[in-house]
Amino acid sequence: MADQNSQHTSFADQVRAIPGGEHIEDCYACGTCVSTCMIQQKKEPRFNPRRLLRMVMMDMRQEAFESPTTWLCSACDLCYSACPQEIHISSVIGAVKELAVEAGYESPLETVSVDEELCSGCGVCAMACPYEAPRLVEKGTNGNTKRISEVNANACMGCGICVGACPMGAIARPGVSNQDVRAQISLPETNGNPRMAVFVCDWALRVDADVALLESYPENVNIIHIPCTGRIDPEMALQALDTGFDGVLVCGCAVDECHFQRGSFVSSFKIKLLNQVLDQVEMDFGRIRFIKIGTQDRGRIRSEVDDMLEHLAAWKETS
Amino acid sequence: MVDASRHPKVDVRTYTEVERVEGFVGNFKAQLREKARFVFEDRCNGCGDCAEVCPIEVPNYFELNIAPRKAIDVAMSQSVPLVYNIDMDSCIECYQCVEACGELDAIDFSMDDKLVWEDIGAIVIATGFNHFDPSAMSEYGYGRFPNVITAMEMERLNNSAGPTGGNLIRPSDGKNPESIAIINCVGSRDKRFNPSCSNFCCMYAIKNAVLLKQAYPDMDLSVYYIDIRTPSKGYEEFYDRARKLGIRFIQGRPGLITEDPETQNVYVHSEDRDLGRVTEREYDMVMLNQAAIPQPDADTISSVLNITQSPGGWFMEYHPKLRPLDTPTDGIFLAGACQGPKDIPSSVAQGAGAAARAGRVVHSEEWEIEPTVAVVWEDRCISAEGKKCGVCVRACPYGSILYEEGEAPEIVTAKCHGCGGCVAECPHNAITQLHFTDAQILAQIQTLLADKPEEKILAFRCHWCSYGGADLAGVSHFEYSANERGLRVMCSARMDADFIYEAFRLGAGAVLFSGCHPQDCHYITGQRVGAQRAKRMLKQFDRVGMTSGRFRIEWISAAEGDKYARVVNEMQDVLDSIPEEELREEIEKLKPYMEKRARRMREVPQIEEAASFVEKIALVHGTQDPAST
Repeated sequence: MADQNSQHTSFADQVRAIPGGEHIEDCYACGTCVSTCMIQQKKEPRFNPRRLLRMVMMDMRQEAFESPTTWLCSACDLCYSACPQEIHISSVIGAVKELAVEAGYESPLETVSVDEELCSGCGVCAMACPYEAPRLVEKGTNGNTKRISEVNANACMGCGICVGACPMGAIARPGVSNQDVRAQISLPETNGNPRMAVFVCDWALRVDADVALLESYPENVNIIHIPCTGRIDPEMALQALDTGFDGVLVCGCAVDECHFQRGSFVSSFKIKLLNQVLDQVEMDFGRIRFIKIGTQDRGRIRSEVDDMLEHLAAWKETS
Repeated sequence: MVDASRHPKVDVRTYTEVERVEGFVGNFKAQLREKARFVFEDRCNGCGDCAEVCPIEVPNYFELNIAPRKAIDVAMSQSVPLVYNIDMDSCIECYQCVEACGELDAIDFSMDDKLVWEDIGAIVIATGFNHFDPSAMSEYGYGRFPNVITAMEMERLNNSAGPTGGNLIRPSDGKNPESIAIINCVGSRDKRFNPSCSNFCCMYAIKNAVLLKQAYPDMDLSVYYIDIRTPSKGYEEFYDRARKLGIRFIQGRPGLITEDPETQNVYVHSEDRDLGRVTEREYDMVMLNQAAIPQPDADTISSVLNITQSPGGWFMEYHPKLRPLDTPTDGIFLAGACQGPKDIPSSVAQGAGAAARAGRVVHSEEWEIEPTVAVVWEDRCISAEGKKCGVCVRACPYGSILYEEGEAPEIVTAKCHGCGGCVAECPHNAITQLHFTDAQILAQIQTLLADKPEEKILAFRCHWCSYGGADLAGVSHFEYSANERGLRVMCSARMDADFIYEAFRLGAGAVLFSGCHPQDCHYITGQRVGAQRAKRMLKQFDRVGMTSGRFRIEWISAAEGDKYARVVNEMQDVLDSIPEEELREEIEKLKPYMEKRARRMREVPQIEEAASFVEKIALVHGTQDPAST
């Protein structure tokens, strides 16, 4: 019989001890989680939740801590809703990440940073973040203490929801700062066709065919890639109209499938508010539109873009 | 089926439901509802002229609603007997069928359901299984994507007697599919729906793939699976053959199916575990191998026949290894998938076995039962004195106690399995169990606690589970306290409160109340009767100030020898933790309480009583009719 007084705790026991990490042994390696996960298909081919669970069971501590699976999961829980063993995989990954941070490992992701001069300490970023990465701290600069936001780099997933939320423009990360997004906007030459800006989130179009389809539109459709629609600032949409675009289409994940949990919900709400404001000043002509693409909506992007273009053409004729 | 219907000694009743069953092994009485067909069975010759003229078309259940049927029709062309019936929910009563039937005059619109009673010796349940509806799994898009179909729909589409005459077409555009994906474990091995394996789907997937490959050699066929299970003779060879035919087997359960809105081709997204990456493959059609689930009316059948169901809803066998064909109710047997998902060879084997078991009942002059049955001592029953009681009736898991107010209950000996629940529950000790009389058990308790009772742990063990657990602890050499003293009764239901009071009155250090886990109880619900009583007592003992842990309730199966040893050792630890003086004081303090509670039991003239019962049981046996044949 095994020595019951053994002091050695296995990696699996450590993971199990963290809330959410309990059911790792239920995995029978069917691969459903991998097939639903967007990260493996879009960002990192080595990303594989099933294998991380296996590493935990086999006591492969170091490999697990170094695995991209530990760090890239954004807890969208597409895998959880499909898992036949009802394992809350993102919690297990979270538990492994917690142990990895304890062991001194650091997130390889490029995370946001706060401009301490600009930050007013309002705390909107802390409320907006799905991962509780920013929090308010008292910090001394030049002899004055000031309440500012500080970002936990190991918790931040780099979605940019806080960037879109910050009223001061104090948070940014390379690739999602206001300038970087604006750099993608370029007003095409018009040949009579309506000009449209399409803000598309990196995760909304699951299949490569749909991404290629969107890219294949002629010049008058300007595609702007953002990590999450939560990054959108209503001002950005208005600016696009101001520069000369006839319409703006924001394309995000279905609300319950958002890659960053609540980005799609937040931005759909923002656009709705914007439309209401435009309606009050009698300027709402359906020129700004938010669409939600679910994981099973293969090919829907074509009909949505065509529909919007038609709408804009009709609007141009009447105005 | 045709053979059976022609056999002189086989009476086939289709379109008939069992409404009620009374009686016991060999002497069942069943009430059958012969549903109105609106067509005379003896006049209809199955020519089908009526269906030809019928103007009403409704979805055909047998063809899985792919094809229509008429309001007057047969379920399928192979129906036995081949008699048409009218679906009154859709019939418009135009009476064209009556005209078409002409001289045969087989149609009668005034027919009603008939209720008949039949004498029956034994019952075999062979109600089969049902299919899981995959539209509950939104990720596979069944019901939304026309080219995602179920295995049964594929069966009909690829069947030469099916609606398309065997021409395999896909639902969206009628094109012959060139590539088909078969997905296994749809709703089975899935904790969200059915956690268990459906047993036959792997072979079913291979069979369908081979059938398709033979008919369409150029077809691209892939089977997506988690594990391929080929446990029976010849199955692995069949799997080999399928691979040699060029069928692709892809290890990886698809997490998503998408559809191209223009071509309506279907894309299967899955991890290919052998490649170690996600693949997205295009098919003309996808076939889902659904889980097998119990019939929707399984609950009704189990309450009509008083048999039990396993947690998944399948009918429960008496013993998973030793009596797989029997139900807990004698004379009722199980055949086929109603007991659990199984393939054709196993169902046929089980059917033959169940028939043989039933034959044994039908051809017996006498039926042997366990001798440990319960017997009523009428003089002592308060119900016979005109007071309300009926406690024993509620304790019986088999419904074997017939009770009318104002009379002593009558126990149908043939139905009694001897758990002893009624015996322990009877507040007036008016029932006893042969071979486990109160006197016998009290004598054992007194002997076991004769010497230094405060050091002893008296363990009540049920015959089927915890006794086996203790036995396993012994043969496995798991060490446990030598102060343990075991006492066997048939079921935890028999562990009378008085026995426990008596044990503590005699100064027992600790008492263990152990039995089967609730779902394993050999006597259907006997464990529950015992558990309720034990929990009640635990509260009482808490209230009167007994150290917690001296009375303990544990459910230990026959496979849990380690648990038995651990529990006894933990109880020993409790005893060791109480200083000797304190323990003695506590025992003395509680003695008057135990004395008071157990007094009635010790005043009963037990031994003489038992002797008179032996005569009585002989009488009961004599009056009982042997099994009818």
